[in-house]
Amino acid sequence: MKHFWISAALLLTFGAMAQAKDPEQYYKTAEVKHYTKVEGVELSATFTDYLYAELRAQLTKTKMFGRVLTEGEVVDDAEVPSSIVLNGQLIEFKKGNLAKEVIIGFSSGYRRLKLDTVVTNRSDGATLFTLHTQVRTPPNRTEQLMAKAAAEAIAHELKDAVKKAHEQK
Amino acid sequence: MSAKHHRLLLVLTLSLCASPSAVFGNDDPKPKPENTISIHAPQTVTPQKFAQPFTIALLDVTDRSGNPQPMLVYKPRGGIFVDRMPTDILREALQDSMKPAGLLAADAESADLTAKVYVFKFGLAPGSGLDFFGSVEFAVVLKNKKTGASQEVRAAGTAIANAAVLKKNIQKNVRENLETALGDALTNFFRGAQLREAVRTLLAEQDKPVGVQEKPQGHSGNPERL
Repeated sequence: MKHFWISAALLLTFGAMAQAKDPEQYYKTAEVKHYTKVEGVELSATFTDYLYAELRAQLTKTKMFGRVLTEGEVVDDAEVPSSIVLNGQLIEFKKGNLAKEVIIGFSSGYRRLKLDTVVTNRSDGATLFTLHTQVRTPPNRTEQLMAKAAAEAIAHELKDAVKKAHEQK
Repeated sequence: MSAKHHRLLLVLTLSLCASPSAVFGNDDPKPKPENTISIHAPQTVTPQKFAQPFTIALLDVTDRSGNPQPMLVYKPRGGIFVDRMPTDILREALQDSMKPAGLLAADAESADLTAKVYVFKFGLAPGSGLDFFGSVEFAVVLKNKKTGASQEVRAAGTAIANAAVLKKNIQKNVRENLETALGDALTNFFRGAQLREAVRTLLAEQDKPVGVQEKPQGHSGNPERL
């Protein structure tokens, strides 16, 4: 019985250590630019500011990049080949309907935001990935919560895309 | 109703009329040592390398935020104040990063360029409610004394920190958040392509022979962000 507990403890310890292993750093720098809005997207200017800040925070959390740069920051020549730039656009925004959400439910009156993100290589400007993201939030939530959800989704999709691309190499 | 009740009612009415704030509470927080924080840039930023050496004299730092209480950074729960004006905090942070890099001129006479700084945002912006969203934005107008040409360089820094429940933790998180945003804005300024381009343009005009100099082009800030 004693051996069982010791082996279980060891298994848990090594399992946790394996989980805590530092994720691989794929790029030295990543620059995030402010997302632009297409005509008809009725979101405030603070939304794009918050999305920019939240996206930088989320990308830092992924640990895939050495540094997440501010917009317009210069990069050392040595780091340019291993650097990416994120450009994005808010494609579509539906305000949602609180009455619909309350009466019908099942997320029918939710707000919906569609974003396109183009990830390019800094050195030659070649497109590496194009991400199409869609987020849905309840209509009574603030714009900032929607920006947070969007940033999390973009960071998650980018992480998956980068990992997949590196596995294929 | 007896005379005693009348008197009591009168006293109560008078006290309500005389000082409603004493009964309903005063909304405006006041700066006290326990709700005042000190903000400094987390570390000095190493500016980018420029093709030509130059020095800058920091002239004025002006508040253009339009905020009537620039030192109040967080209003609820008794408020949180910064110990100095945001203009003073920014001036100190800019000087601290310029000095080690040799960019700071001793006086305006010996400087190649002069700089006027305008602070547009310094504090917390509306966040998601689950966190603090710190934002620092400023613009620096660089001027070449010899040619009179000027260029505007904009910089912005943001930071997101976790919200807190305890007052002590709120203060700690707000301070960390503002310091990170300030550091971010300084990095954006000193390592930004806008500064490199502005300095290159201003110094190139100076090097041109007399008579070939172009008219000052004015500001060259990014119109998308204005």
